[in-house]
Amino acid sequence: MNAAAIETRRSEALDNFHTRGMPHRRFEHWRYSDLRAILDAGQVAQSGTAKWQVESVPDGVELFDLAAPAEQAPEWVVRYLGTVGNRPTMKEASLAFADGGVALRVTRGRKSAAPMRLQISSTGNVRLLLVLEDDASLTLMETHASDAGLLRNVGVEIVLGSGASLSHVRLAPSAPKSITVEHIGVTEARGACYRAHFANFGSRLSRTELHILLQDVGAEAHLSGVMVLGGEGHADVTSHIEHVSGGTRSTQLFKKVAGGKSRAVYQGKITVREGANGSDSWQTAKALLVGDRAEADLKPELIIFADDVKCAHGAAVGDLDPESLFYLRSRGIPEREARRLLVRAFLEEAVEPIEDGGLRAAVWREVEEALSRAMVIVR
Amino acid sequence: MSMLEIKNLHVTVGGKEILKGLTLRVAAGEVHAIMGPNGSGKSTLSYALAGREDYQITQGGISYRSANLAAMSPEERAAKGVFLAMQYPVEIPGVTTLNFLKTALNAQRRARGESELDAMSVLKLVRQKAGTLQVSEEMLKRALNVGFSGGEKKRLEILQMAVFEPVLAILDETDSGLDIDALKLVADGVNALRAPHRAMLVITHYQRLLDYIVPDRVHVLAGGRIVAEGGKELAHELEAKGYAHFAKEPA
Repeated sequence: MNAAAIETRRSEALDNFHTRGMPHRRFEHWRYSDLRAILDAGQVAQSGTAKWQVESVPDGVELFDLAAPAEQAPEWVVRYLGTVGNRPTMKEASLAFADGGVALRVTRGRKSAAPMRLQISSTGNVRLLLVLEDDASLTLMETHASDAGLLRNVGVEIVLGSGASLSHVRLAPSAPKSITVEHIGVTEARGACYRAHFANFGSRLSRTELHILLQDVGAEAHLSGVMVLGGEGHADVTSHIEHVSGGTRSTQLFKKVAGGKSRAVYQGKITVREGANGSDSWQTAKALLVGDRAEADLKPELIIFADDVKCAHGAAVGDLDPESLFYLRSRGIPEREARRLLVRAFLEEAVEPIEDGGLRAAVWREVEEALSRAMVIVR
Repeated sequence: MSMLEIKNLHVTVGGKEILKGLTLRVAAGEVHAIMGPNGSGKSTLSYALAGREDYQITQGGISYRSANLAAMSPEERAAKGVFLAMQYPVEIPGVTTLNFLKTALNAQRRARGESELDAMSVLKLVRQKAGTLQVSEEMLKRALNVGFSGGEKKRLEILQMAVFEPVLAILDETDSGLDIDALKLVADGVNALRAPHRAMLVITHYQRLLDYIVPDRVHVLAGGRIVAEGGKELAHELEAKGYAHFAKEPA
């Protein structure tokens, strides 16, 4: 395999993008995020390349700048770039049009404890490739600047070798004028573990889509996330986890607070492939509507081709519990503060899974700020 | 003038009238017991005093230290010294008990124009009160009421009362679900708070609690009205004769 392989995948991606056109609401899984209504293919092609920046590269982590000529790409970049997960339209666009991005590799057995910070800013398409070799581990904090311009379209590929472990926290602050799309493809070998948290604070249209393949026994994916939306903010997290092999496990817990005229979307599809016996999955999505005109669309979906599996799912949309609110007020806590306290309590369970204390605190800071916007009108 | 004066109080919940002309006076320094069968309106009275929004006063009124209590929000009432120990304290995940106590205490102090206490001062205050009620440090660190046993929840209600130092304390069936040891513990906590400037309204179905918290006056509530009043011996009479005997007689 050589560098020409990358060029071939790029031109395939370009063809695919032009053949399929922009995703729109008539596609079931784009129903709540009508991209074509606000963006055309020409704008995607001409949006340029978004910027990325890493603070420092920890020991045992290799970095390759995808803006460099393909001939310089190391073997692992050539092998994986453009191959991980399915190839949906917007991900193809990021491969076809991004003139850069970053590839990271954690070599076999290297464990990097301190979080590595990756900042994505500016406007355009960009690619990210992350390869963790066998038994390697990494914590990645992916933060987005809110200056996304018209469009930021990120294509992420994650390859987890046997026994590899990645903790991924994605923090996307409010960018009310921008369209932000990110597609994350993950493939996991035997005993690998992907833990990810998605904190979304709303864009004009924000779509985070995941496609995770649990390829072999013992592979696990644990997703959690919070959304706090106000104004006319929109955020959509759509996941598809495929239990390719038996003895694999996935969990998902998403909590959303929607105020103003915002819209919070969660679509979670689980596929248990034929023969993937002993697979275990559960997913829960809950939304709290704190604005009269806010909307939440929660859609769990199960497609099961195996017999001996455990699949649990649940979704609920509601308001704050009046009993709890009265209890706090009867203790002297003013209504506004009591409501904030209860909303925080509602989100807690979905923030808690972030293992790194510093990253957890960073998410809470953003939540606090977003709550001020989401809860502007208290009845 | 009594601290609390309830006159001809009518309260409607969900379109149904529960209190139908309740009249009651409680003076500072006194402990009054309200006894009554299920459905007589005991909890409705406690919620109306604490200010639950869906409990609508359609007639009559409540005067507390010469002010119109019914016009105040629940948080205003708390800041002015009204405290309700609830029959079913709610669980609030994500808020530690200690942090809740600090938030509530400081909110009350702020509303009264007093300075707020820092975390250390609150911890010191809470520790000092928690010991006698057997509320452990571990409980204080847990999320408010989450996974607490019935007895732990009730002890925590009394701890809150000790920390907030209310002027008027209402205890709504604090004895329900308690075994005898827990009951004594709670009663000791309540008795320690008896003071000349403080009044208490102890609401209960059973006479048992009143062996440990001895009231100055006992009122029998039935059908949304007070139907009998007397001294502490009335509680024993109720135990012997049952509520049916009193419910028939007008007060």
